[in-house]
Amino acid sequence: MSLGSWIKSGDPWIWMTASAVGACIVAVLGLLGLIAVNGLAHFWPADVVSLRYKNDLGEFILAGEVVQRETISRDQFLEASPNRGNVDGAEFERWMIKSGNRKFDPPDFRWIFEHEVVEQQKNEEMIVFERAEWGNAYGTLVAIRERGAEIASSYSWDELQDRIGRVEQLRNQARKIQKGSINRINYKLEQLRLEEQRRNLREEERIAKLERNQERLSQLSDAERSRLLTFNIETADLEERRRKLNDEYGLEELRLRNIHGQLDRDEIEIKIADGRTISIGLRDIIRAWQPNKMSIGQKIAHYFSSIWVFLSQDSREANTEGGVFPALFGTVLMVLLMSVLVTPFGVIAALYLREYAKQGPFVQLIRIAVNNLAGVPSIVYGVFGLGFFIYLVGGSIDDLFFKAAQPAPTFGTPGLMWASLTLALLTVPVVIVSTEEGLTRIPNALREGSLALGATKAETLFRIVLPMASPSILTGVILAIARAAGEVAPLMLVGVVKLAPTLPIDGNFPFLHLDRKFMHLGFHIYDVGFQSPNVDAARPLVFATALLLVLIIIALNLTAITLRNRLEARYRGALI
Amino acid sequence: MPANALPGVSRRRVWVNTATKRIVAAGGIAVICAIALIIGYLLWVVLPMLAPASIKLHSSHDLSLETALQVASDDRFETVTIIHSDGRVEFRDSTSFDLVDEVNLIEAVLKSAKPVFPTADTYAALTEENDLVFFKVTHTIRFDGGDRRRIENRAEVLFESSAVPLMDVLDHDVFRGSAELRVAALASDGTITIHEYEDVEDSYELDEPRKLEIEPWGRNTKDLQILLGPRGRWLYEVDESTGDYRLIDIATIRRFHIAAEGSLVGQNDKFLLLAPILGRYSFLVATESGRLDHWSLGPTPSGSDFRKIREFYFASPIGKVVAEHRRKGFLAIDRTGGAHLGFTTSRRLLASASLGEIPRIVDFSPRGDRLLAIGSEATNVYKVSNKHPEISWSTLWGKVWYEGYEDPVFSWQSSSADTDFESKFSLQPLLFGTIKAAFYAMLIATPLAIMGAIYTAVFMSPGMRNWIKPGIEIMAALPTVILGFLAGLWLAPIVEKHLTSVLLLFIVLPIGVFLFALVVQLLPRTISKRFDGWLAALTIPVLVLLAYVTINNDAWISNLIFGMDAKLWFYEKAGIDYDQRNALIIGLAMGLAVIPTIFSISEDAIYGVPQHLVEGSLALGATQWQTLIRVVLLTASPGIFSAVMIGLGRAVGETMIVLMATGNTPIMDFNIFQGMRTFAANIAVEMPESEVGSTHFRILFLTAFVLFVLTFLFNTIAEVVRHRLRKRYGNL
Repeated sequence: MSLGSWIKSGDPWIWMTASAVGACIVAVLGLLGLIAVNGLAHFWPADVVSLRYKNDLGEFILAGEVVQRETISRDQFLEASPNRGNVDGAEFERWMIKSGNRKFDPPDFRWIFEHEVVEQQKNEEMIVFERAEWGNAYGTLVAIRERGAEIASSYSWDELQDRIGRVEQLRNQARKIQKGSINRINYKLEQLRLEEQRRNLREEERIAKLERNQERLSQLSDAERSRLLTFNIETADLEERRRKLNDEYGLEELRLRNIHGQLDRDEIEIKIADGRTISIGLRDIIRAWQPNKMSIGQKIAHYFSSIWVFLSQDSREANTEGGVFPALFGTVLMVLLMSVLVTPFGVIAALYLREYAKQGPFVQLIRIAVNNLAGVPSIVYGVFGLGFFIYLVGGSIDDLFFKAAQPAPTFGTPGLMWASLTLALLTVPVVIVSTEEGLTRIPNALREGSLALGATKAETLFRIVLPMASPSILTGVILAIARAAGEVAPLMLVGVVKLAPTLPIDGNFPFLHLDRKFMHLGFHIYDVGFQSPNVDAARPLVFATALLLVLIIIALNLTAITLRNRLEARYRGALI
Repeated sequence: MPANALPGVSRRRVWVNTATKRIVAAGGIAVICAIALIIGYLLWVVLPMLAPASIKLHSSHDLSLETALQVASDDRFETVTIIHSDGRVEFRDSTSFDLVDEVNLIEAVLKSAKPVFPTADTYAALTEENDLVFFKVTHTIRFDGGDRRRIENRAEVLFESSAVPLMDVLDHDVFRGSAELRVAALASDGTITIHEYEDVEDSYELDEPRKLEIEPWGRNTKDLQILLGPRGRWLYEVDESTGDYRLIDIATIRRFHIAAEGSLVGQNDKFLLLAPILGRYSFLVATESGRLDHWSLGPTPSGSDFRKIREFYFASPIGKVVAEHRRKGFLAIDRTGGAHLGFTTSRRLLASASLGEIPRIVDFSPRGDRLLAIGSEATNVYKVSNKHPEISWSTLWGKVWYEGYEDPVFSWQSSSADTDFESKFSLQPLLFGTIKAAFYAMLIATPLAIMGAIYTAVFMSPGMRNWIKPGIEIMAALPTVILGFLAGLWLAPIVEKHLTSVLLLFIVLPIGVFLFALVVQLLPRTISKRFDGWLAALTIPVLVLLAYVTINNDAWISNLIFGMDAKLWFYEKAGIDYDQRNALIIGLAMGLAVIPTIFSISEDAIYGVPQHLVEGSLALGATQWQTLIRVVLLTASPGIFSAVMIGLGRAVGETMIVLMATGNTPIMDFNIFQGMRTFAANIAVEMPESEVGSTHFRILFLTAFVLFVLTFLFNTIAEVVRHRLRKRYGNL
């Protein structure tokens, strides 16, 4: 076949279409791979290299993790370091070193050119300290001091671990007090304040009512009148309770202070790369490990414990360090609440449209409208949620039921409930469409058979129709959940914050606080990736968070797809 | 038939049946209503913008207040402050006009008491001895013992009574900035003296001033009027007899510079008066012919000058103009006593009412919701309802000549830290940005998705198809916040660094695949036959390899094509600035978000083309490709169209990707290397800071409504087309 006729046959075009699929696959897999590699690498205890490098500014020593290697052209090299034009070479390799030690040896990320490195080695004794603030520190242990007195020298690694363990225990105790009893006392104190405010309001209302009733006032004697018109509320009981709570608070605070005193006991001295000795209070250290000494097994163990820390702990340092537990918790809780709302309403609406409403152009119109709503941008729902739910409905609720708390809004401000409601509205078309699809699949013969056997319509619905439609209902709900878990834009308007002081569920009555703001994985990504001052330090964490979110959503979608396939397989036989 | 007609049907069962029916119906209708509520509510917020303005007499009081020099009111219009020429300051209740408080502030006869520009509470009173005394009026809300609300009104002389002696003055004006106080005084010989006092705080004494003298203009000094301009850096001098003006730059107090001279009136017209608008960047000029011209200080090629930026016309010449205190609105009163409420930015005359005469003193309340007029016989309070004067069809969609601009422009700039800021609410840049983002996304997504759908539906082996379909569906569920994050923080720097090779990929990849296909074609048929249905998998290594090689040799390629860095070349040769987060990034990232939508729907459409059509075509001797183009695609075209429409709907409303992967600057430049701001991103950025019920708030709702309507429209078109398609297949 000649080239001309080959082109004419259209075969090259088929190749082009094939390559379009190829490109899409590359994009998807590349994307997932990129997130996975970057997200998972974040937890690996990388070796710490000690480097000696020399350039026109002098000779330096540096220790840290190599986080990135790249090759740049001469132009880019000259752009980055204009006064080093005397160096030959067309391409240069540079390494990004995370040298940590922020606060006493900034910056914590540096680019080093490979050709400038004179010597590199891995010091077995190098320790990585994960600090509560200021990121990691790298150095070797010189001494451990207890209340200023040296008790151990550099080789006592186990001693260090024991003491870090002790600090962690103390820290946990402190957190327990802070988040447990102190939080509870504060909550009760706030309730007391509100109670007093409520009594104030009642009294004011009483007086205002009396003042309006001039007729009755004129009948009263002067003394009686002034007695009735005096503002007088009974607060002795409140005062008593408040005093008790304050006492309790003082006690807890004392305990807390005691723990903080114990936390300050130990101090270590480390030698950082440039030879300086730095002392760090042990209370600032969360974990310490010696990556260069670890065996592969230990590294794997450390890796999984890091993942666990990431999933189970609070974030620190404006969300750039630590875990994502509050965000994960907020996401899951919000999605759960949303599905509790969306499932019944979605299913009922679909049942109405398919089983009860009179089929005709009007229902068809509604069906199209519902279908189209799935395509309306999520931010529009956010605007609606903010305006309608929060300002209108929430504002009215506050006026009616939470007058005592005003001017601070209770429901008239973004919060968990409004976020769930908004997302429920956003995803209700998904559930309706999916359920309706399931209902259409059920042959009328089955319904008619049931009715013919004497079942009522409701019985047919509950015994025949709904069970048969349940897989598609479930598919719809899962798809709705998957969509809701990934939405960020509307949440930014209706309830998500970068840092929520408390979880929406805690030990204080009524346990589930629908009015609280919450954290969310998606918003976490946006916030840390784009609003954080130290992007280099935050990036690995953002990748890890993104990976977590992607995994959740892929798992949900796969469940939905599997369910749908099962459903198709199950009814293929039954429906013919 | 009712169920209870049947034997053996218990009442309970009937009850359950009816209850179910009612609950389902109620629930279903409720959900449908909730959905309808969205449109309803958005409109409910938007519509008050269209509410007409009005001026109505609120209360009339039999007071002529002959000695009053100046009136003012507090923020909530509870207390009216009246400054009298005998140095008294009266506080009156705004509803009853009863005297609440009175202060004998200055022991002198006052010639005038002018508000100090740009403050709302400080006044400069000129005594008969030509001393300038400053005083401040405050209204503090106090709660007494029994929680009773009480307003404490105070008037106190500032600067520990040290007055500024002006000696001989025809006209004067005072400006008070954060660190300086400037007093301009016109003497009877025509000299203007500017005194500047530094670091003035309420309790400080006035130090020795710095002085600047401006030579006389050589006009009849009795006709001259002086006015300090924005931030006290300009001096406007106007000859009231001719309407001529001098614009004097006094930014540095050391020397002055006549920036411009000219005339504010036409040849056969007569100047009547000049009234500054909030911030004094612009002012209104009334003339004998009934015109009211809006002049603004702005840049010209030669420096700064006044430009006439819009005009208003009235039947009767305007005799008095008062400006609003917090917006660029005004009230113009004509000679017959007709008052006209107007707004400069939107060039609207909003409402009219007759005041009967030109009142001696007129002022708006700070919020612009009341108007206080002291006439010859009575003092009247008018209720002004004028919530959204900034909005008109032309301010939203047309070019507007804003204060301080050289030309009319499209501009979106909703807020600023300055209180005298002129809000710019043109939706055009946002619409433009939305279209631009969607355009570039569709440019990348449409061909890829449709071609991919064609291959998947027609040529792909079922084994591979079973993997591809769910894979693409999962891609559709990828949170856009992740795409946005990767686009902004990972892709954007890479594209910036390897610009040439990334652009080149759009050419290299198709050519590479073509050449690869040619090589495979040359293989014996027995071997190449095995690849049928798996070509897509085969192209993957080719694509990856080509992309890898191209990107890694960027420097070399860039040198070969441009002889320098690509960004530099674009900048030097084409004058195109490169933004790191630009439309190209959006195109790639949002393209990726839209591909699955278009792909899924068009794949379904193509796959659903009846097999007998395909077989018929092939049987008649058409090649696979000919069958595809002439039969399959033609039949499936409505479905593909609807896929594109739905994809477009998604691209138009996407928020997070645009928010994270562009700079969000509302510019109107279709250049692919520049960013944009879309409706959706704009809402996400500005909504949380917007004041509830303000014009800005309602406009954001309007944009949400526009987005809603746009996407609803796209989806409906898609739905209708798809419906037709279904019917057509039914016939086949």
